[in-house]
Amino acid sequence: MPEDGIYEDLTLVRRRANAVFIAVAVLVFLVLSYYWKIQILEHGKFAGLAEANRTRMRVLAAPRGLILDRNGVLLADNQAAFKVSIVREGLKDLDASFAAVSRLLGLDEPTLRARVDLRKDLPLFEPIVVADGLSARDVAPIEGRRLEFPELVVESEPQRRYPLGTVAAHVLGYLQERTPEEIRARPELRTRAGEMVGKTGVERIYDETLRGVDGAVYEVVDSLGRVRGEKARQFPVQGQNIVLNIDKDLQSIAEAALEGREGVVVALDPRTGGILALASYPTYDPNKFITRFTPDEWLQLMTDPLSPLENRAIRGLYAPGSIFKIVMGVGGLGFGFIDPGATVYCSGSTQIYGATRHCWFPQGHGAMDLDDAIKNSCNIYFYKLGQRMGIDPIARAAGRLGLGRPTGIDLVGEKDGLVPSSEWKMKALKEVWYPGETISVAIGQGQLQVTPLQVAVMTALVARRGRKMAPPHLLLADGPPEDGGAGTAAAGEPQFNASEFESVIAGMWKSANDGGTGKGARVEGFDVCGKTGSTQTMSRESAAALKRAGREVKTHSWFSGFAPRVDPKIVVTVLVEFGGGGGATAAPVAQRIFEAFKRRLEAK
Amino acid sequence: MMIDRRLIQEIDWVLLGLVLLLALVGVVFIYSSSHFLPGGFHTRQLVWIGVSLIALLLVLAVDYKFFVSVSPYLYGLIVAILLATLVFARLVAGTRSWITLGLMQLQPSELAKIVMILVFARLFAEYKGATLTRNYTIGALLVAGVPLGLIVLQPDLGTAMTFMAIIGGAFILAGLRRKTVVVFLLAALVIGIGGWNIGLKDYQKRRLTSLVNPLEDPRGSGYQVIQSKIAIGSGGLAGKGFMHGTQSQLRFLPARHTDFIFSVIGEETGFLGVFAVIALYFFLLARMFLSVAKARDRAGVYIIFTASLLIAFQFLVNVMMIIGLFPVVGITLPFLSYGGSSLLTSFVAAGLVLNVKMRRFANV
Repeated sequence: MPEDGIYEDLTLVRRRANAVFIAVAVLVFLVLSYYWKIQILEHGKFAGLAEANRTRMRVLAAPRGLILDRNGVLLADNQAAFKVSIVREGLKDLDASFAAVSRLLGLDEPTLRARVDLRKDLPLFEPIVVADGLSARDVAPIEGRRLEFPELVVESEPQRRYPLGTVAAHVLGYLQERTPEEIRARPELRTRAGEMVGKTGVERIYDETLRGVDGAVYEVVDSLGRVRGEKARQFPVQGQNIVLNIDKDLQSIAEAALEGREGVVVALDPRTGGILALASYPTYDPNKFITRFTPDEWLQLMTDPLSPLENRAIRGLYAPGSIFKIVMGVGGLGFGFIDPGATVYCSGSTQIYGATRHCWFPQGHGAMDLDDAIKNSCNIYFYKLGQRMGIDPIARAAGRLGLGRPTGIDLVGEKDGLVPSSEWKMKALKEVWYPGETISVAIGQGQLQVTPLQVAVMTALVARRGRKMAPPHLLLADGPPEDGGAGTAAAGEPQFNASEFESVIAGMWKSANDGGTGKGARVEGFDVCGKTGSTQTMSRESAAALKRAGREVKTHSWFSGFAPRVDPKIVVTVLVEFGGGGGATAAPVAQRIFEAFKRRLEAK
Repeated sequence: MMIDRRLIQEIDWVLLGLVLLLALVGVVFIYSSSHFLPGGFHTRQLVWIGVSLIALLLVLAVDYKFFVSVSPYLYGLIVAILLATLVFARLVAGTRSWITLGLMQLQPSELAKIVMILVFARLFAEYKGATLTRNYTIGALLVAGVPLGLIVLQPDLGTAMTFMAIIGGAFILAGLRRKTVVVFLLAALVIGIGGWNIGLKDYQKRRLTSLVNPLEDPRGSGYQVIQSKIAIGSGGLAGKGFMHGTQSQLRFLPARHTDFIFSVIGEETGFLGVFAVIALYFFLLARMFLSVAKARDRAGVYIIFTASLLIAFQFLVNVMMIIGLFPVVGITLPFLSYGGSSLLTSFVAAGLVLNVKMRRFANV
């Protein structure tokens, strides 16, 4: 290496080095300015991002309010359960995750995939529930491997429980997960993905009340989503409890009485309109599909030919049959077509509009006044009355007594029913009404269609001697029961005078207590007043053909009545599908309800 | 070889002090960002500072002219080591750049930078022309190209880039003609386009594209930059406090104690801390660059200049990279980032500057 000595001229390279240093200095200054921009000018934005980075909100589901019967018996409460959700955000291999979850939870992969696919439109950060209703034991394997599966979220969740199983299932309804479509359609409800909402029954109509306010935990999480602490916690507020008019004991008795058949029992308090029991059979156990995932059982219930999910009390449409004679009687008196004492002679058959019409009692009832006609359910009397009245006064009377339109009960999906009139026929069928058709309507057949609940309300109005009544309701309102308050069942309609009911009621009393068709409903010392009905489910001709062939013709069987005769406290309406004669099948069912109710009254 | 008492007096203690101060600041924030991890990174870094300081003092003990004269042998040695690394090293995180020496792991490519500084000093010591001739340029490129090629093959893009700084620095000093600059730019363009389509690995491409739009792949390569910017920006004026940075303590920040140590400083001490560290760095760089005036000979000028430029380049690239002004290329922050090889190289580079500066008087 040669010695250059100290005299070598290095000015050129030194100048260049200085120039480069100046360039470096300028760069350093520019970089510092950029840090100023990021740290001072844009501090707010990045501070917000840092905060959002590390905090995660987790919803604490509010327990739903309890549902109690009028005596405080629990009909619906909550139990602790766990649910497992999957968060797809940041997940590289969804399949690996599926495999793990299916192993840990014992679910098969296709099911799991279907559950996630169902909600695949949700944002990636939204957890999708893949399993629920789990016990602490079920989720332990997942909790133990949190680090391995950060995408799985285990949360506790209060789960609905119906401690009495099938009791009052149609009244209570059930919950289902709100679908993504529903969430999109009604954003104002602010429902979360995976939230359970009431689908039918009381759970649905009082969903807002029962739901409560969800709480939230704001957690500090690290970059792997592991919880490192808690910043704030908002406790969930349980939904409000709901007390129903339902009497659990009466409800159970009603369901037991219906067991093995298809039918309805409605019991209500005519003083308030409160529903004491509302049973529809066959029924189901709402606990069975409390979880989000029970496609098999659900489908089975949906496709069951006996449609156990349907609430027949408000959605079953039946001809009222002889029950309609109550309407005929009240209307005939009210509109002045008959006197209570006037008689009609029943010889077993009669000629009306050129056709021979038979009474159900071929030997004939003899001379009948109104109460005997109701007691014996004499067809001839009401044929004649119908002929005299004509269809439109009959329709008016039915309307005043609440038939042909929803009763306004606090349940969703109530059917209208149908009360035919000349106006209706012109509108619906573009035909004039033939007087001959009136004769079928007069004994509750023809196009007439009512729900059992409408019949119960009609009976209640009779029991109240025509005073208006609040719509039938399941919710037991606080304070004294309103008598004929706002929103009556026969809103807008004038009502009949009280005196016009007494003859009909006398007939209904005799029916149960004086050897009439309703004697099966008689309860000693309770003055049951009622009316039976047997509804043809096919035309008279085919029924006759079947009978000739030696086959049994089963009719729908009705009973509707109240007790006691003075100051009535309960209305009971029973319908048994294909139950045969109303007196034989429906009346004894009603008798069990009356009897149980009487015992309750005496016990108090 | 004993050091003269007079020579010791000539050591630039301020420069050495700045180096040690920066290294200790580094330890403090390595502690903050990794105390919750097993491995005791701060302790290990302290040990490495000790080792590096001893290496620096050893470098001071030997006249830099000796290093320059033996640089061809060092060059041969480092090329052999790089070759051996390429063949024998285990694949770690997709690269073969580490060799194990007993308890220590070393990156030969880091030490290759020092060798390049010395080789270039020798190459240009006798070059007295006002500008570079073509033959000399080609010759220098060939000399640098062998180790550079081996490093690119590892592949270690970051270190390869710092090589460019050394080569470019030497060329600038020797004097680039306008024609040469044009040729270089054209070559860079061709290599750039060709490299993008053939040479660059997908992850490297993603890093470049995510620089333009970090949100394009927020969970991939853009993630690091986004998290780093959030950390720095959320630091504000005074920071979130030592060991209270949410981005670093909750591990949103990647490579906290190594490449992204300055993000931790930005988050926990705010702009004030950033300003202080950059100011320290500026003083250090100024002190190093301005030492060029103290170099006795041309070789000394080249050593001081390329060593200073090496530190300046790495510093600038790092602080730009972590705030999204430069692709994430895996260049550490000299003196502050965790890592023995990086620390050793930076200390030795500083040692070379001190070495030249203390021997500025001829024939002592």
